[in-house]
Amino acid sequence: MRNRNAAPKPEVVLAQQLVFLVVLLATWQFASGRLIPAFYISSPSDIVAIVWKWLADGSIWLHVGSTIITLFMGYAVGALLGIGFGLLLGLSPRTERLVAPFIAALYGLPKVALLPLFVIFFGIGLVSKVALVASVVIFLLFYATLAGVRDIDRDIIQSMRLMGARSDEITRKVRLPAILPWIYTGLRTSIGYALTTTVVSEALSSNRGLGFLIEYSASQFNSAGVFGAVVVLLVLSSVIMIPLGMLERRSRPTRPSR
Amino acid sequence: MSGGSSLWVQRVFLLAAILAAWEACARLVSDRWISSPVAIAGRLAQWVAGDLWYHLAVTATEIASGLAIGIPAGVLAGMLLGRSVRLAAVFRPFIVLLNSLPIVALTPLLIMWFGLGMQPKIVLVAFVSFLLMFFNSFSGARAVDDELMDSLELMGATASERFFKVVVPSCLTWTIAGLRNALPYALIAAVIGEMMLSRSGLGHLITRSAQQFDMTGIYSALFVLMVFGGLVNEATTLMEDRLLRWRHLETRGG
Amino acid sequence: MPVLRLVHPEPAVGPTEARRRKIGLEKVAVDFATRGKTVRAVDGVTLEVPEKQFLALVGPSGCGKSTILNMVAGLLAPTEGTIEYDGAPVLAANTRVGYMTQKDTLLPWRTVADNIGIAFELRCRKASAGERRERVAEMIDLVGLGGFERHYPAELSGGMRKRAALARMLIYEPETLLLDEPFGALDAQLRLLLQQELLHLVERRQMTVILVTHDLEEAVLMADRVVVFTSRPGRIRATRDIPFERPRNAMELRFRPEFSAIHEELWNELKDEFAASIGGERGAK
Repeated sequence: MRNRNAAPKPEVVLAQQLVFLVVLLATWQFASGRLIPAFYISSPSDIVAIVWKWLADGSIWLHVGSTIITLFMGYAVGALLGIGFGLLLGLSPRTERLVAPFIAALYGLPKVALLPLFVIFFGIGLVSKVALVASVVIFLLFYATLAGVRDIDRDIIQSMRLMGARSDEITRKVRLPAILPWIYTGLRTSIGYALTTTVVSEALSSNRGLGFLIEYSASQFNSAGVFGAVVVLLVLSSVIMIPLGMLERRSRPTRPSR
Repeated sequence: MSGGSSLWVQRVFLLAAILAAWEACARLVSDRWISSPVAIAGRLAQWVAGDLWYHLAVTATEIASGLAIGIPAGVLAGMLLGRSVRLAAVFRPFIVLLNSLPIVALTPLLIMWFGLGMQPKIVLVAFVSFLLMFFNSFSGARAVDDELMDSLELMGATASERFFKVVVPSCLTWTIAGLRNALPYALIAAVIGEMMLSRSGLGHLITRSAQQFDMTGIYSALFVLMVFGGLVNEATTLMEDRLLRWRHLETRGG
Repeated sequence: MPVLRLVHPEPAVGPTEARRRKIGLEKVAVDFATRGKTVRAVDGVTLEVPEKQFLALVGPSGCGKSTILNMVAGLLAPTEGTIEYDGAPVLAANTRVGYMTQKDTLLPWRTVADNIGIAFELRCRKASAGERRERVAEMIDLVGLGGFERHYPAELSGGMRKRAALARMLIYEPETLLLDEPFGALDAQLRLLLQQELLHLVERRQMTVILVTHDLEEAVLMADRVVVFTSRPGRIRATRDIPFERPRNAMELRFRPEFSAIHEELWNELKDEFAASIGGERGAK
């Protein structure tokens, strides 16, 4: 008979996870150079060696630092602009309806395609990358903020007015609490997109950053370098994303949003 | 609907005004950075008569082939893994880890493996869509209402009957939500792949123009991509409305 | 809405005839783990349900009535004791019972008609498309959902969903019904009609029934025997045979003096438990 409370024991699960990891790495190590040329898949030991070398000579920090700076600057600029436009258009619904199709059309454009344009405008370097990241984040925060403004319950505002609340009190007690969770969700979901865009912009046109390191290693046919940079990226992304994912799980399940 | 149609009239006017201002700027100040609507229209007409369809077909083929591999595989894997309490527990941290990795970062690796033809883009699209669909149907399978499963089991439904009559349709909501991400992302992935290294496709149109500092070409390619992206979005919405009628009723009816 | 059929010429089965044991609970106890603490939900329940008996379980909410149905259905294993069905221990989902849970378990992506007919899609109850259509139409008629066949559950009221769930369960004529507050969400009139219709069906098809309800009147009107549960942990506080004839007319029965007497007698048992359960909740807060 089924027993609902019968989740597998944590120790057993942990052991199985370790076994899986060890088997995976061992298979990889064995296959490398024997079944598949090391040129394609490198090997765990080579990857560890190259990451260790990067850490030892400190060369990795230039790339990690560049990625982090690009990520957060683009994220901050995009979020501020997105929230600003969201509030602005949210509070003037007539204008919002007028321009909605234009915004939707721009939103449908894969933003990476703007990178060559930004590079021509701003040159290769931090500014063009930040502009690209911001161009992705801005739309996400714009739509999140707009949804938040629409989520404000007019009946509550009415009844607050009847109770004699002043406009600023209504803003503080009704409007902000309605909008903030939406903005918060927008901030949380857009960080992943921001990181992806950062790495892509580095790979496409830059001379530093983890994305560049991956692209550069690949162009030298240095598969250990590619995997090593991916491993560093994986560590960085999980440091940024996993705490957010844990917060996110509380607010699930998400409905498919329109 | 008169309000609606007047809104559209206003939109057309707004668009016309923007284009006119753009054109005026280009003629009176300089068209060096911003090209001009007339030039872009001319270029588009030239492309339509020329090789645009070829590049469009390349990108569309990459997306379609990648999705054809990635979607079914991701959905199936997510549902099966999601329904097994044990496997789900064991693989959970690996899934979370993979979920946080920007997958398109692997593009250079794929190009290194498969060269500069269509394969690396197809693999990238397949990989990206596989993961997105996998995460969604995995969550969907975890969220299946146990009481629905029980009620069918009591009617004598076998495990496979329960899977197909409860798990699959119940995951559909999540699967569609996954498609809403996967389809636009497939386009993004294909374009990234093409921009990185390729001789054809819409992404290549952009990088080719950029290398020649051909602003008109860049804007034209962006316009094509925007239309393409809009069509992908529209198709997703249409399909969602079709497949999830009951769901919309539920959220509306509360 | 179609008129419910209230004529039933089949022979009546009285509550007093000796019959073989259909369901047996032997010293059953159930513990639940909540927030790290173990709570005993059901304690030392020994209960026998003879074949074709209509048994009602009444008690305050949280007394483990639903837990007992879950165990008989084979969805939950007791912590202590044994559950038997037809003389064999229940070890897996019991496919010979029809179970109507408190929350209706209609599939939200299927229309009313497709929900009701789902049993005939399963290998063990396969039927031809024609037969299926006919039976579904019959059932929809029976529960008064004519005109709503193509609606989705989300488009129905709570009461209509209950009726659809009832139809889905009755359509394959299980030999035993487990009903958990089947009429809880219905308005008063509809409740009367459906109670009467269910009585009629059970009497005609000679099914064994366990009905869980907090409505004492419903229990006395419908059951051959009423078992009163204590508040948590649920124990049997009192058992009372209900001597009314079968077939019953629930409409008429409730105005008889004997009905009032039994109702009052059981209410005296029950009211302390309600008071205790409310007191317990207050104490917890």
